Amino acid sequence: MENILFTINSQKISCPSGTTILDAAVKNGIDIPTLCHHPQLKPHGACRICLVEDEKTKRLMASCVTPVMPDMAILTETPRVLNHRRNIVRLMMAEHPESCIVCGKGNRCDLRKIAARLGIGESNLYPMPNFKPYEHLNPFIIRDLSKCILCGKCIRADHELVVAGSIDYNNRGFKSRPATLHEMALEDSNCTFCGTCVSLCPTGALSARNTRYVGTPEKESDSICAFCGVGCTLTLGVSGNQVIEVNPSKYQGTVNGATLCVRGHFAGDFINSPDRLTQPMIRTKKEDGSFAHVPASWDAALDSIVEKLSEIKRQHGPGSLAFIGSSKCSNEENYLFQKIARVIFGTGNLVNGGYALGQQLIYFMEHKAYGTCRQSSLQDLENAQAILVVRADTDHEAPVVGYHIKRAAKKGVPVIVLDSRKTDVVPLSSVWLRPRISSKLGIVKSGVINSILKMILESGAQDSDFINRYTEGIEKLIQSMNTVDPEKIALESGIKPSLIEKAFKILKGKKIAIVIGTDILHYPEGPSMMDAVFNLALLTGSIGAKGSGFFFPLVKNNLMGAMDMGTVPDLLPGRRPLASSFHRETVEKMWQVKLSAEPGLDMVGFIEAAESGKVKAAYIMGENIVRSLPQSKRVESALKKLDLLIVQDIFYDRTAKLADVILPGATVAEKSGSFTNMEGRFQTFFPVVNPPGNAHADWEILSQLSKKMGYPEQYISVEKIRQEIRRVIPMYERIGNHRQDWIKNNDLESPFSDPKKKFVFTPVTFAPEMPADSAHPLMAVIGSSRYHLGSGSRTSRSERIRAFAQNGAIEISPSDCVSLGLGDCGKIRVTSSCGMIERQFKVNPDLPSGQVFIPSAVNGNDAMNLVDLIPPGLSGVYGWTVCKVSIDKI
Amino acid sequence: METKTSIDWKRVDSIIEKYNRDKESLLMILQDISDMYNYVPPEVIPVLVKKLGVRESLIYSVATFYKTISLKPRGKYILSVCTGTACHVRGAEKIMDALHSELNIAEGETSEDRLFTLLGVRCIGCCASGPVMNVNHDTHGGLDRSSALKLIEEYRQQAS
Repeated sequence: MENILFTINSQKISCPSGTTILDAAVKNGIDIPTLCHHPQLKPHGACRICLVEDEKTKRLMASCVTPVMPDMAILTETPRVLNHRRNIVRLMMAEHPESCIVCGKGNRCDLRKIAARLGIGESNLYPMPNFKPYEHLNPFIIRDLSKCILCGKCIRADHELVVAGSIDYNNRGFKSRPATLHEMALEDSNCTFCGTCVSLCPTGALSARNTRYVGTPEKESDSICAFCGVGCTLTLGVSGNQVIEVNPSKYQGTVNGATLCVRGHFAGDFINSPDRLTQPMIRTKKEDGSFAHVPASWDAALDSIVEKLSEIKRQHGPGSLAFIGSSKCSNEENYLFQKIARVIFGTGNLVNGGYALGQQLIYFMEHKAYGTCRQSSLQDLENAQAILVVRADTDHEAPVVGYHIKRAAKKGVPVIVLDSRKTDVVPLSSVWLRPRISSKLGIVKSGVINSILKMILESGAQDSDFINRYTEGIEKLIQSMNTVDPEKIALESGIKPSLIEKAFKILKGKKIAIVIGTDILHYPEGPSMMDAVFNLALLTGSIGAKGSGFFFPLVKNNLMGAMDMGTVPDLLPGRRPLASSFHRETVEKMWQVKLSAEPGLDMVGFIEAAESGKVKAAYIMGENIVRSLPQSKRVESALKKLDLLIVQDIFYDRTAKLADVILPGATVAEKSGSFTNMEGRFQTFFPVVNPPGNAHADWEILSQLSKKMGYPEQYISVEKIRQEIRRVIPMYERIGNHRQDWIKNNDLESPFSDPKKKFVFTPVTFAPEMPADSAHPLMAVIGSSRYHLGSGSRTSRSERIRAFAQNGAIEISPSDCVSLGLGDCGKIRVTSSCGMIERQFKVNPDLPSGQVFIPSAVNGNDAMNLVDLIPPGLSGVYGWTVCKVSIDKI
Repeated sequence: METKTSIDWKRVDSIIEKYNRDKESLLMILQDISDMYNYVPPEVIPVLVKKLGVRESLIYSVATFYKTISLKPRGKYILSVCTGTACHVRGAEKIMDALHSELNIAEGETSEDRLFTLLGVRCIGCCASGPVMNVNHDTHGGLDRSSALKLIEEYRQQAS
C-alpha cells in the first residue's frame, strides 16, 4: 500500500493511504479531542469536535472520518478550529441539563472535560434542555437520556460489537434519542444488559446502577474477570476498600475489547456480600453438646489441619485423603495445591470443580488432537472461512464468544448451527440444522455430520494434502460411509435433505472453525458426536490453520489452568499422563519424590469413597460441591461421614457449613495470580482491594500450610510459585509477568512436527438408542442463563442479579403446554427418575416440542437433583445436563 | 376507542415478496403497508423482523424518522395542512384553526370517528395555489376557512 506524506502542525508524517487524519495524529502523539470516536467502532463523524483545518485549502473537516491526502498541511489548534469546537460544545451544553453537581459521571464526563479544556464556563445560549424520563427500573443500567449528546456510541456498540440490535435512533433532529422498539424499557427489549453502552457513554446519559456502594471511583486498577472461561480484561473502579465499578479495560488486543457481559459488568458486587468468610473457624463442641463454628486464629486453624491430616494419613494411608482444587482459583494456587497433595501428603486423589464442566471434553480432544486445539484466538473467528456451532448456547454460557461469532456472521462468514434449541446465533446463521427431539437423537446428530462427511468424500472435496501428510485411517472412514444413508438420516432427524446439502456446499473446501458446547459430553450422543466432528476437521484440514480448529466456550475462568497445573486425577502438571512412566519419571526427578502410577479418585469416585469410608479426610478449595454436584443431599451426607473436612472458600456456603475447619480465602480482586483462558491465553492479575477481615489470599494460605508441613520459605510469593511452574511445565516455560502471554503448545509431539505421529480418523460408533421411558416422556435440558454462572454460588450473591428477580422459570414449548394442559403460566412439578423440583414455568415458542429447558443456578441449584450422580461422558447414559422428565401442574 | 385493525396478512406477505424480502427496501415496504391502513400496525413488526432479518429497533427507527409513517392508527383521510412560508403568509393558520375547532382535535391527532387525522406539514411544493391542504394523495389549493370546512363535509359524505 502506498504511503502518504503530509504534515500535522508542521510535523512531517507518513502513513498508509486510507488512514484517517485522527488515526495518523494519534499514532504520532498529537492529541485531537473527540466525543463520538472509539477505536473499536467504525468512524461516525457525528459530534464534529475533532474538526481540524487544512492550511492550504482552508477547509474544516472532521478528522475522524477524513482520510489523509498527499501534501495536506493539517492544523489542529488554530483560532478558527477552536472557535468552531467551542460553538459545538456550547450548543451541546445549551441542550444539556445543569445537573453536573449530582451527576454520577462526575469528572469522568468527556463533555465536561472538553468544555473545561476549551475554557467554556457558561454556554451563553438560551438553554433548551431536552427532558426525557429518568429510567432506573432495572438493577443494572440507569438511562437519563436528557444528558444524551447523540454521539451514537451506544447504538454502534450494540450493532457492531455485541450484535444485539436492541436500540437504534428514534425520531429525528432535536427529538432523536437511542430507543428500543416502541421506546419500551430495556428490560422489555432483547437487551442482555452487557453494559457495553454504559462503558462507552461519554456523558452521564448511561450509567451503572450501584447497589451497596456509590460514588465516583478514587482510582482504577486492572484485573481479570473470574466468571467464565473467556477471561475478559477489566478495569475496576475502587473507592476506599470497595470495588464500586467494573468496566472493560482500555488496552488493545484483549480478548473482550470494549465489551463485557452482564455477569462481568454487574455481578462482581458479590465480593461485597455479607456472606463472605472473614476469619478462620473451627467446628467446636459447645456445652450443650451441639456443634458450632468458632472463630480461631490462623495458627490454630492451620495447626489443627496439619495435626489431623497427618494423623489420618498415618492411620489410614495417603489414599484416605482427597484434595479438591478449584477451576476458579489461580494457576499458582492450583499448582501449589496439587503439589501439597502429591508431594507432602502423597495422595493422587485430586480433582477440581471443572470436572463436569468441559475438562473432560478438553481431555477427550487432547488425546485426539495432540494438544493442537489448545490455542485458538477468538479474534480469528472473525476471519474464519466458515463456522460450525455444535450445541453451544454461547450467548448465555460465554457471551463474549457469542459476540465474536455474531460479528463474524455479520461480516459475511457463513455460520452453520447444529442444535435443537434456537440460540441467539441462529437468526444470523446461514443454515440451521435442527434435529427433532427423539430417543434416536444420539444417532441423528452425529448422523447429520456423517451425511456431510459422505457428501464431501463423494464430491472429492476433502483436503487430500492434509489427509496424506498428517492423518491415518481414512480407509476405515470411507468404508464406514457405506452404512451412512443420508436419506434415512434426514428422515429420522427431521432435517430437510436440502438443508444438509446446503450446509455441505458451504463447508466444502473450507477450513472450518468448530465451536462446541462444553456440555456435549453430557449428552447420550456426546462421544460419537465428538468423533464425527473430529473427522470433519481432519477431512477438511481444519487443524493448525488460523481461524479454524476447535473452540470450547468454557464456563469456568480457570478450567484450562487447573488442568494444566495437574489438579486432576490422571494428569501431572503440564497435562502429562500419569500412566506414562516416562512422564512420571520426569516429574519425579524434578520433585524428588516417588509418584504412584495409580490414578486418583475423580469427583464421583470421591463421593462414593467418602460414603464407603475409604476416604476419611478432604480438603476442598474454592468449590461449593454440595451446590454444584447432582443429588445435593447425597453429597451432603457423604461429606458428613468424613472424619475431617477442610473448606477453603469465600462464602459461608452449604459445603463450608459442614466443614470441621474453615479457611477464608480471597476473590480475584483481592489477590495476585494468573488464569489461563479458553484460548490458552495466560493472564495475570494483582490485588485491587484488601480481603475482608482476616481473610487471606488462597496461595498465602497454602504457602503457610506447606511451611507448617516442613517446606519453609519455598513459596513466599506468587512469583516463587510461578518460577517453579515455568520450570516444571514446558507449556508455561515462556510465561512472563506481563499482563498477558500465550502458553506454548508442545509442538514436538504433534503430527505437524513429528512425521511418525498421525491424527486418526475414528469411524463413528453410534450411541445406543436411549431406552424409551414412558413415565418421563419429555427431554429436559439443564443449562445456564446469562445472569448466572455454574452453580450460581457467586452470581446469586450479587445484589443486582438478585434484584433482577430471575425466578428461573422452566421453559416449555407451546405444543407441550397444550398437550399437558398447563395454560400460560403457573407452578409445575418436574419429576425425573432421580428427583423432583417445583418451579414457575413460561411458554417458549422457540423450543421444539418434547424439550423443556430448566435454568440452572437458581433456587440453590435445585435442578441438579433431577440428574444422577454418575460419571458424565459415558456412552449411552445421560450426563448432568440432560434427563427425561414428566411434568404436572400444581 | 382504539379498535384493533384486522390485518390482511396475505397482502402484507405479497408486499414483502414484491420487494424480494430485501431489507434495503424496508422503507418502501413500510410505505406500502401504510397505504393499506393509513398507518403501520405494530403487529406487522415481528413479521418484518422474521422475514427481512432486521432487528425490531431498526424498524422502529425508520418508522419514527419519516413523517409519512405512523405506528398509531390514523384516520381514513389524512389532512396535511401546509404551513410552509408561502401558505403561512396566505393564511394557513386560519385553515388550521378552522379544522381544529370543526374536528375537535389538535395537530397530530385523529378524530373520534376515525375519519380524519390532522397534520401540519412543511412545504408540499405548490406554493402558487396556497394555502394548500393534501387529503391523502389529493391536493386542494386556494383554500379559505369556509371552503376548507366544505371540503371536510364532502369527505364525510363520501365516507358514509
